[in-house]
Amino acid sequence: MKFLLILLALLLPSAALAQNQVALNSEVFVERAVRNADGTSRVALETPGVVTPGDPLVFVLRYRNNGSAPAADFVVTNPIPDSVSFTGSESAGAVYSVDGGRSWGTLAQLSVRNADGSSRPAALADVTHVRWRLASAIPAGAEGELRFRGVVK
Amino acid sequence: MSDVRLMPVCGNAKRALRLRLSATALAAGALLAAAPAHAARTPAGTVINNSATATYDLPGGGQNTVTSNIVSLTVDELLDVSVASADGGDVSTVPAAVNQVLTFRVTNAGNGSEAFVLTARDNAGGDDFDPAATSIVLDTNGNGVYDPGLDTLYVPGSNNPVLAPDDSIVVFVLSSIPAGAANGQRGRVDLLAVAATGSGVPGTSFAGQGQGGGDAVVGATGADAEDDGYYAVQAASVAFVKSATVADPFGGATQVPGSIVTYRLVATVGGSGSLANLRIADAIPAGSTYRPGTITLEGSGLSDAADADAGEFTGSEIAVRLGTVAAGATRTVTFQVAID
Repeated sequence: MKFLLILLALLLPSAALAQNQVALNSEVFVERAVRNADGTSRVALETPGVVTPGDPLVFVLRYRNNGSAPAADFVVTNPIPDSVSFTGSESAGAVYSVDGGRSWGTLAQLSVRNADGSSRPAALADVTHVRWRLASAIPAGAEGELRFRGVVK
Repeated sequence: MSDVRLMPVCGNAKRALRLRLSATALAAGALLAAAPAHAARTPAGTVINNSATATYDLPGGGQNTVTSNIVSLTVDELLDVSVASADGGDVSTVPAAVNQVLTFRVTNAGNGSEAFVLTARDNAGGDDFDPAATSIVLDTNGNGVYDPGLDTLYVPGSNNPVLAPDDSIVVFVLSSIPAGAANGQRGRVDLLAVAATGSGVPGTSFAGQGQGGGDAVVGATGADAEDDGYYAVQAASVAFVKSATVADPFGGATQVPGSIVTYRLVATVGGSGSLANLRIADAIPAGSTYRPGTITLEGSGLSDAADADAGEFTGSEIAVRLGTVAAGATRTVTFQVAID
């Protein structure tokens, strides 16, 4: 029994490190026009207490490699929520799906089938998933963020 | 002699026709626009959840998957309303007329079910005379046409129309026209609709008052909209001539029991403009009996039943609805009675 506990104690931290090497955190902000004291206005990102149809949203995905080894081939996928219309990625290298994640590509590579069987080029509003694949491994201790935009339908 | 009554009622059938046409066009447009609009506006109370998933290679080989936290947003109620005149132009009327109808459409442009408070404003500028708005009536039966006795009188606060998102209701404003209004003059009445929850500067929030328990937020319209409708005085007048021919059972023209009297009613509209909903009613004279199926309008037979065609026999009088008759036009109605 004692031996087993020691074995577990030895195994658990390394297992935990391996499982939680990269942490991924999702946040969402709403863009609001804020009036400055001098009468001009600027766009501020606020944590939304209230959203209503038409509100522009900024989704921020933060990642951090908490482990001691680099994390290679890092791929982040974010399905676009049903009530949000995708308006674009702010981070480079995004690929999209317009068919629920079955096929991927740049918007120009994708098309949408119409009800009558014909097809048309995909538009931003058709996007169902956005995905990024980092070109290089995330070094140990490094962090970054990916952003995309949408609007409340 | 029989009694002849002429009832030029200026509800304007021509306008009603235009209204139906425009309502059809609107419905078609609404269908086209509605699909994306319905799909586009998220209902109040909807929760938006977002989370992302990441995969990466593990140092020792194989892949790991991590899922982010779920971040949730609740969609609150947006308060928006639009009001549009549905008349398609000025509504023609005459001086001193009462219950003259302006037609508006009030649409819930928000994303939650909302009640709207309606007000008619009859003293706005930009016109030649001030009509007196006497009542607001809701198109309860949804046919787009004012039906006295069928459509419901609006009482502020007691039957504010409640509309689902994107739904609309037709609202009639009834007004009296001043006796002094002159031919060619226009009078304006506005219909205002305000969200019952609240209105104001876009972005104004009413905590906890949105559908589904969230907040209600004033949208781009300010949750307060209005449109104007106009009456235009078009003083048409009607001249009326009634004549009778008698045919007795013996081939002559004597008035004896069994003689058949054919009445001929000729209405001529003079002046300018047109008379709307012109209706002729003529009581069957005492001592005579209506001969069924003898009503004609412009030489064509009309049925006695109160149905789709313009004529009817009520049991005591015949009536023919002439619709809108333009100045200069005549309408001829005939019917027969038998002398008792």
